[in-house]
Amino acid sequence: MSILAVRNLKTYFKTPEGSVKAVDDISFDLKEKEILALVGESGCGKTVTVLTILGLVRGAQVYGSIKYKDYELTKFSETEYTRIRGRKISMIFQEPLSAFDPLYTIGQQMVEVVCAHLDCDKESAKNICIEMLKEVQIPFPEKRFDEYPHEMSGGMLQRVMIAMALVTKPDIIIADEPTTALDVTIQAQVLNLFKQLQEIYKTSIIFITHDFGVVAEVADRVHVMYAGKIVEKATVSALFANPLHPYTKSLLKSRIKKEFKNRTLPYIPGNVPLATDFPSGCRFHPRCDRALKICSQKEPPEICLNHSAVSCWLYVRGDEK
Amino acid sequence: MILSLRQVKKYFPVRSGIFLQTTGWIRALEEIDLDIEEDKTIGVVGESGCGKTTLGKVVARILRPTSGKVEFLGEDVTGRVSKDVERKFRRNIQMVFQDPFNSLDPRMTIGEILSEPLEAHRVFSSKKEQDNYVKELLVKVGLYPEYLSRYPHEFSGGQRQRIAIARAIALTPKIVVCDEPTSALDVSVQNQIINLLQQIKTEYKISYLFISHNLDVVYHMSDKLFVMYLGNVVESGESREVFENPLHPYTRALMNSTPSWDPNQKRLQTVKLLGEPPNPINPPKGCPFSTRCTIRIERCDKEKPQLVGDEKHKVACILSEV
Ligand SMILES: Nc1ncnc2c1ncn2[C@@H]1O[C@H](COP(=O)(O)OP(=O)(O)OP(=O)(O)O)[C@@H](O)[C@H]1O
Ligand SMILES: Nc1ncnc2c1ncn2[C@@H]1O[C@H](COP(=O)(O)OP(=O)(O)OP(=O)(O)O)[C@@H](O)[C@H]1O
Ligand code: SF4
Ligand SMILES: [Mg+2]
Ligand SMILES: [Mg+2]
Repeated sequence: MSILAVRNLKTYFKTPEGSVKAVDDISFDLKEKEILALVGESGCGKTVTVLTILGLVRGAQVYGSIKYKDYELTKFSETEYTRIRGRKISMIFQEPLSAFDPLYTIGQQMVEVVCAHLDCDKESAKNICIEMLKEVQIPFPEKRFDEYPHEMSGGMLQRVMIAMALVTKPDIIIADEPTTALDVTIQAQVLNLFKQLQEIYKTSIIFITHDFGVVAEVADRVHVMYAGKIVEKATVSALFANPLHPYTKSLLKSRIKKEFKNRTLPYIPGNVPLATDFPSGCRFHPRCDRALKICSQKEPPEICLNHSAVSCWLYVRGDEK
Repeated sequence: MILSLRQVKKYFPVRSGIFLQTTGWIRALEEIDLDIEEDKTIGVVGESGCGKTTLGKVVARILRPTSGKVEFLGEDVTGRVSKDVERKFRRNIQMVFQDPFNSLDPRMTIGEILSEPLEAHRVFSSKKEQDNYVKELLVKVGLYPEYLSRYPHEFSGGQRQRIAIARAIALTPKIVVCDEPTSALDVSVQNQIINLLQQIKTEYKISYLFISHNLDVVYHMSDKLFVMYLGNVVESGESREVFENPLHPYTRALMNSTPSWDPNQKRLQTVKLLGEPPNPINPPKGCPFSTRCTIRIERCDKEKPQLVGDEKHKVACILSEV
C-alpha cells in the first residue's frame, strides 16, 4: 500500500538565466512503513522534490500530482497545508542548529509544536515532550528541556528534531540529510534511532542522503536521482547486488578502497550539468561510457524489471528503440 | 618545518545576562601540539564540535590562540606581527571551506574571485600576465577559461569547490587547510576533487591540513593522522599505523562506525558507544572520553591522560599507560 503517490511531478523555477527544471517529471510511491532513500548528486533536485511535497517551494511552477492518502496535495490551499504539515507529514533538516530559534529553550519550542497540533494544555504538552525526549534517548530529559539550542551538541539537537517530528505521530517523516553534519559515531546512533522508532511508530520515511553507506544501513528501497530525474528505483539489496543504470554503477564503483592509496581514484568524467541547460535525450549521455546513438536524441523510457525500474536505453529491446 | 603549534589553547567566551558578561568558556582547543612539514598531509578526524574547524582557523590565522605559541618558518606569529610577516603568512597559508555554496562571494565573477588575491599581493605587473595566469588556474582545476565572466551560482557544488581550490592555490601557498571540502558532494565528484588535490600537491609540494568525517577519504589522503575529541588530541601518528592499529577507544569506535555499503552486512546496530559527548563548557575532570568509554576504570574519571608515545604513534589513554 502506498501512502504517498507522486505522479509526473515537475517543479520549475523562473530565473534570469532561464527556466530551472529542478524536478522534471518524476513519479514514485512511498509505501506504508518503509524507509525510502533518495540519493543523488548535489543539485539534482532532492530537496526541491520534498519541499514540493510539503508545499514549501515559493515562486515555482508545480505540475503533476501528489497524492497523500485520498488528498491531492497540489490542490491544497495554504490553510489546508498547515493542517497536515508538521502533523501528518513532518520534516527533519540537515543543519539541526539552524532549525531552532536560538532565543528560546528547546522545551519552549517543542511545547509550541505540540500545542499547535495536539489539543492540549501547556502542562500536559510538557509531559508529552519529556516522554518524547526519553524516547530519543536524551539523557536527563527534564534538565535538557530547559536548555537552549547552542548548549547542545549537533547529534543531540538532531535527536531533539527527531523527537519534535515524531511527537504528533505523523504518517510520513521526511529527513533531508539528517546525518551529513555529524561524525560517524553519532551518525550511527541517529541512524539506529531512526530504525527503532520507525519500527515502533510504523512511520513511512523519505530519507535523503548522498552517502551509499547510509543507504545500505537504513533503507528498504532506493531511488537514484540525476539532473532532476529519477533514473533508477530498486530495493536496497537489488541496488547493491545488481545496479542497472550506468550512473548508479559508476557511483557504486567509486567507493574509496584502502588499496587505492597513492593512486588516482575512480570517478565519472565530466561535470554534473547545470539545471538551466540540461543535455538533450538522456541527461547522463555526455558522461556515460555506454551511450548509444539514440541516447543523445530521445529521452529513455522507464523499464520495469523484477526488483528495479531503470530509465536507460540499454534496457529497451531492439525493436522498440 | 613550515608551521608549528605549541600547547595552543582556544577558548571562546560564553556570554549571558543583559550586560553579556562572560559566564564561562567553551574550551574548543586544549594544549594542542601540531607540526606541519613540507609536502605532507595531516588528516584530522573527530566528533562534531570537537574543535577541528577551530584548529584549521588557528592554523590559517583566522583565529588567534588564547594561549600557546604558533611558529611560522621559525618566526613567532602567535600575536601581532609586522606587515611583512603578515603578508608572507597570508601568501603561504590558505583555507578551503566545507560549504561550496556559501564560501564564494555571489556578487563577484569567477575572474574577480581568482584575481583578488593576486592583486592584493601584486604578483603580476601587467594585467595581461595576470589574466593568462587566471586562465591557466581554471584549466588546472578542470574548468574552462570561458567561465571567467560567470557568477558562482551558475556552477554545481563540485565546480564551486574547484573554484575555491583554484583561489586557494593561486598564490602557490605552502599550506592549504581543507575543512571538509567534499562532505556535500557525491562519491564521484568527491573523488574528482581528491584527485585534483593530490595532483596539485605533487606539482606544488603543498601540505594539507585535511579535516573530514569520512575515514575512507582521510585514509587515502593523509600521511599523518590526528584524532580529536572534545578539544583534545586523543591519538596521533603515522596514518597507516593508526588505521591499522588504533589504540584509543574513541578511535576504535570511529573506525567501527563507518557504514558498510553492504545491506547484507549492516554494521551500525553493532556500534556500542554510550551516551553523549560532554559539553565543552564543562568538560569532565579526567579523561575527556570517560563519559562514553566502555572500558574505563576508576582512574579515568579523576586523571587526565597525557598524549604519550613516539612520532609514529601517540595515544592519550590511562589504560595504555599501564
Ligand atoms: N528557489 C530556487 N530558485 C531557483 N533555482 C532553485 C531554487 N531552489 C533550488 N534551485 C535549483 O534547483 C536545483 C535542485 O536543487 P536541490 O536543492 O533540490 O538539490 P539537492 O539535490 O537537494 O542538492 P544538495 O545535495 O546540494 O542538497 C539546483 O540546481 C538549484 O540550484
Ligand atoms: N566563534 C565561536 N564562538 C563561540 N563558540 C564557538 C565559536 N566557534 C566554535 N565554537 C565552539 O567551539 C567548539 C568547537 O567548534 P568547531 O567548529 O571547531 O568544531 P568542529 O570539530 O569543526 O565541528 P564540526 O564537525 O561540527 O564541524 C564547539 O563547541 C563550538 O560550538
Ligand atoms: S540511456 Fe544511454 S546515455 Fe543514458 S545512461 Fe543509458 S546508455 Fe547511458
Ligand atoms: Mg538538498
Ligand atoms: Mg567544522
